[in-house]
Amino acid sequence: MMITILLIPIVTAILCYLLRNHRLIGYVNLGGAVILSIVAVPVIVSAIASPIGHSGMFNGMFYMDALSGYIMAMVIFLGLASSIYSISYLEHELNAGLIDIKGLRRYYALLHLFIFTMLLVTAANNLALMWIAIEATTIVSALLIGLGFTKRKLAIEAAWKYIILCTVGITFALLGIFIAYYASIAIVGTEGALNWTELKGIAAKLNPSTMRLAFIFILVGYGTKAGLAPVHNWLPDAHSQAPSPISAMLSGILLNTAFYGIMRFTSIVEPSTGSVFTGNLLILFGIISIAISSIFILVQENYKRLLAYSSIEHMGIISLGLGIGGPIGIYGALLHILNHALSKPLMFFASGKIQAHYGSTKIENVNGVLSSMPLLGILTFIGALSLSGTPPFNIFISEFAILKAAVDKGMWHVVGLFLFFAVIVFYGILSGFGRMLFGRTQNTEDRAQNTDKESLSSGFWFMASDLIMVLMALLIIILGFRIPDFIDGTIKACINVLGVK
Amino acid sequence: MKNWIGAFSVIDFISVGILITAVAMNALRRLESCVKAYTLNSWLLSSLIAIVAFMMGETHLYIASFVTLLSKGILIPMFLRRIVKQIKVTHDVDPYISNALSLTISGILVAVVYTSLKEGIFVAGFSKNVLQISIAVIFIGLFIMITRKKAITQVIGLLFMENGLFLAGFSLTFGMPTVIELGVLFDMLMGVIILGIFTIQIRRAFASADLDKLTILKG
Repeated sequence: MMITILLIPIVTAILCYLLRNHRLIGYVNLGGAVILSIVAVPVIVSAIASPIGHSGMFNGMFYMDALSGYIMAMVIFLGLASSIYSISYLEHELNAGLIDIKGLRRYYALLHLFIFTMLLVTAANNLALMWIAIEATTIVSALLIGLGFTKRKLAIEAAWKYIILCTVGITFALLGIFIAYYASIAIVGTEGALNWTELKGIAAKLNPSTMRLAFIFILVGYGTKAGLAPVHNWLPDAHSQAPSPISAMLSGILLNTAFYGIMRFTSIVEPSTGSVFTGNLLILFGIISIAISSIFILVQENYKRLLAYSSIEHMGIISLGLGIGGPIGIYGALLHILNHALSKPLMFFASGKIQAHYGSTKIENVNGVLSSMPLLGILTFIGALSLSGTPPFNIFISEFAILKAAVDKGMWHVVGLFLFFAVIVFYGILSGFGRMLFGRTQNTEDRAQNTDKESLSSGFWFMASDLIMVLMALLIIILGFRIPDFIDGTIKACINVLGVK
Repeated sequence: MKNWIGAFSVIDFISVGILITAVAMNALRRLESCVKAYTLNSWLLSSLIAIVAFMMGETHLYIASFVTLLSKGILIPMFLRRIVKQIKVTHDVDPYISNALSLTISGILVAVVYTSLKEGIFVAGFSKNVLQISIAVIFIGLFIMITRKKAITQVIGLLFMENGLFLAGFSLTFGMPTVIELGVLFDMLMGVIILGIFTIQIRRAFASADLDKLTILKG
């Protein structure tokens, strides 16, 4: 069944590329995403209950447990959300002449390939196979950022930076994997020496100094991909220049798949080196990310870039949670991954609509979203409150859990720094989006243009994309009040998988 | 034959050749010569793997050697040459710093790697020098990426890094399982093709093959 999950996006991608009618491509894209979610649900549920491997030809290559199921569920959910949102988004771009039918075919094909590569990351049992998948996500998403849309100079610049920086970073990660392989064949021999299932058993016996070196390379390598500062420079450019549904995927889940690699690797390294070494490095990277991003959030004038910096901040918080460790810290980090994967895509979806309506990504050019587009305004408001960590929204809960873990361990310096920068981020995000949401709408001349645009983007798919955003906002609110039992159970199973006591 | 390899320390000679082709990148002025240096580097890498395969009698290393030759030694250089032709700038690599300075810095890099890896991880491989050389090649590749203006030279620097990485992996573990090695090479090939596409796009959109025009996005 795991192979079926991996095959569906590939088939969808091929179909999307072969078809010529833009409406039909949209339906195929949606159909592929829906079938994928239907097929995946039972597999993920069973993977969370007990780990599943794969026998037969790919023996030992693929493997799923609670943690991979958890991340895979997010990939599939966001894949579905993005394919629904893409239909109306691309229809608008097609009508505006920003993309032609060839670009459209390429876009949908690449979107599903992108989903495939991320699914491969979560389903890989082999460290190196996972590396291959992560590198493949870079290649595919760079094409999504830079190509397809004509006359976009800046997108090419962003894509170039993205692919060069991430490839260099990930090259170091491969070196780290080589070193880990070197450490593990000393104990088990070459057979399956890179498989999680194998490594988990022998983790305590691996040579600590070799593993320490491997961890540094892996953290720098995958950290580049996960957007941890100070190797984050590609992220704001790529996120702000990508088409909005792709920004949502990049920020909501791509960063998390890279971080998933770090989490897995940490659980292998920790038994031999002790948790202080890995924890301190993760905390250091986390604090630097939060600090740098908070300053940029404060002075940001472009709302898509503001959201991108906010992603860096949240990846920093996840890194902090993982670094502080202990059941509560890891619980907070895992919950934060989910919360961020809901709030950030919602905001990117909303910003895509705002951009289509106002034709600008500058904060100063956008005024009175709440009065001109009430539903979109409310959704944006919910997203902004959630991202800034305001209670009673979801992100507050996970940030609170991470803070509690830090207090329990007596890491007062971490608590102090985190709170200080969290306040800056709170002000930065709310003042930025406050200026956009409130205030008077534009003058009548602009209005006339806008009604013209709106008639283009109304219709069934426009409603469908609104619906998916409302669903995400509802999930944000629900998660703020109560964590449903099945999510709670899943996260606890993940903690078990990571071997934290 | 095996005695012959040992007696003339062929492996050391080849790995030094790999280092020299990487260092030579600092002094080359024409893009075509850079591509040639990379081609030579890949052939040396492939032949090194083949010789070790012969010494150890391992079949999967022969495959690795052949695949390396095919992808890094033939396909990627062919592709690079086509791009160099398409962007129509065969002369002048245009480094940010002078050749003499960049050669000096590469020399210092090699020395630093040698001294710092002396007491580092102990490699029970086939040669004492290969790991140091491979790490040095990685750093020189990175250094070339930082100091050159042309988009295509950045790609070549990245490719040198990857050759160094392969050598490092090879000296540590005698290579990965074949399936994995194929996957990694495939990724690299795709990566280079896509970087090539972007190089041409940059040339078109910015009317220049230099990267110092790419400074609009910041902050």
